[in-house]
Amino acid sequence: MPRLSVLSEVQRQMLQFFPCMEADGTPWSPLSKPLNQTTAAIVTTAGLHLRDDKPFNRDHPGGESTYRVIPSDSDAADIVQSHFSIGFDRTAIYRDINITFPMDRVRELAERGVIGSVAPNHYSFMGALRDCTVVAEQTGPEVAQRLKAEGVDLVLLTPT
Amino acid sequence: MSVLARVFEEAGLTTVAIALVREHAERVQPPRALWVPFYFGYTMGKPDDPDYQHQVLAAALGTLDAAAGPVLADYPEDAGPLGMPQASEVAASTNGDTVKPLDAADEITALRGYYERWQEQRGRTAVGVTGIPQRRFRGIIRFLEAYAERDDADMDERPADVSVPQFVRYCADDLKAFCYEARMAQRPSDTEADIHTWFWSETAVGSLIDSITQRLNATGDAKLQATAYGLSR
Repeated sequence: MPRLSVLSEVQRQMLQFFPCMEADGTPWSPLSKPLNQTTAAIVTTAGLHLRDDKPFNRDHPGGESTYRVIPSDSDAADIVQSHFSIGFDRTAIYRDINITFPMDRVRELAERGVIGSVAPNHYSFMGALRDCTVVAEQTGPEVAQRLKAEGVDLVLLTPT
Repeated sequence: MSVLARVFEEAGLTTVAIALVREHAERVQPPRALWVPFYFGYTMGKPDDPDYQHQVLAAALGTLDAAAGPVLADYPEDAGPLGMPQASEVAASTNGDTVKPLDAADEITALRGYYERWQEQRGRTAVGVTGIPQRRFRGIIRFLEAYAERDDADMDERPADVSVPQFVRYCADDLKAFCYEARMAQRPSDTEADIHTWFWSETAVGSLIDSITQRLNATGDAKLQATAYGLSR
């Protein structure tokens, strides 16, 4: 998004007062090997999932903090989006899944030798959550452990 | 997004995040982030432009060079204008002064050829959240027409763990994707703004969705109003 100072008053108010989860300090885990030897996965908050998986659901108790697994060899045709927000232009993802979920681009990075390989699975969460507590304390750490078990070194995070 | 970056990095994974709202990334402080000025929905910059998307990715991976963090790099481009008017903006600009065609179910039937052309050209479709095949969308229309009148409307295809308002949202998302994809096949040179304006000012499906929004907003029920906010505004 352009900087808040140039947005409309309505957009600026909405984004400026969004209840971001803030914390002191920043964790830091640098790569332990060259980039061209890493295994990379995408984790998106675009509310994507496989067509035959359960859509994200606002009825979910405690807020929608669940995640979906998207095998990295999935066909783009098998992925759909059930994001709650209509504050973004969906024509972009109707045209090209990579606009939010650069699955083909990451595959190409591996083919070009920029990264070592693509992980077996990518992961997807709901974005624009006003309360990230469950993601921060439960489902996020759970996905972290899954990624590590799948040999992932590097995670690319993409919002929508 | 940035919260997940922190969680993963704490677990020992190396993360690179793309941030759409710079001011949010400044507050949450993910370890490595590339702020991009693109509007919501345009994370990688330009659809159908692999070279451009690779430039954005390369800039994101560039944050890995830093020896200490947090790193918040800026992508050096302009976002351009946003081409997504919402329903109320379209209504204000057209004064509601357009002729609404057909019955919404007939409209779906009329658009089907274009929709199927899009699917054939692209090899994919964003339709599919309800799980109801598009050939049976007349049923969705009848359900939404009933829901535009009263709360107790329902549809057999609704899963037990999905509330009626949530299912209405899935139905609206599928109908929107169907209509937008049909329109993009019908008029490939239309801008995003043209397509949104067409949908909210000229289609019976857009009117139907907006009529549900108006009924739900008038109930005074916060949960139904939240559903309305995800249908049109």
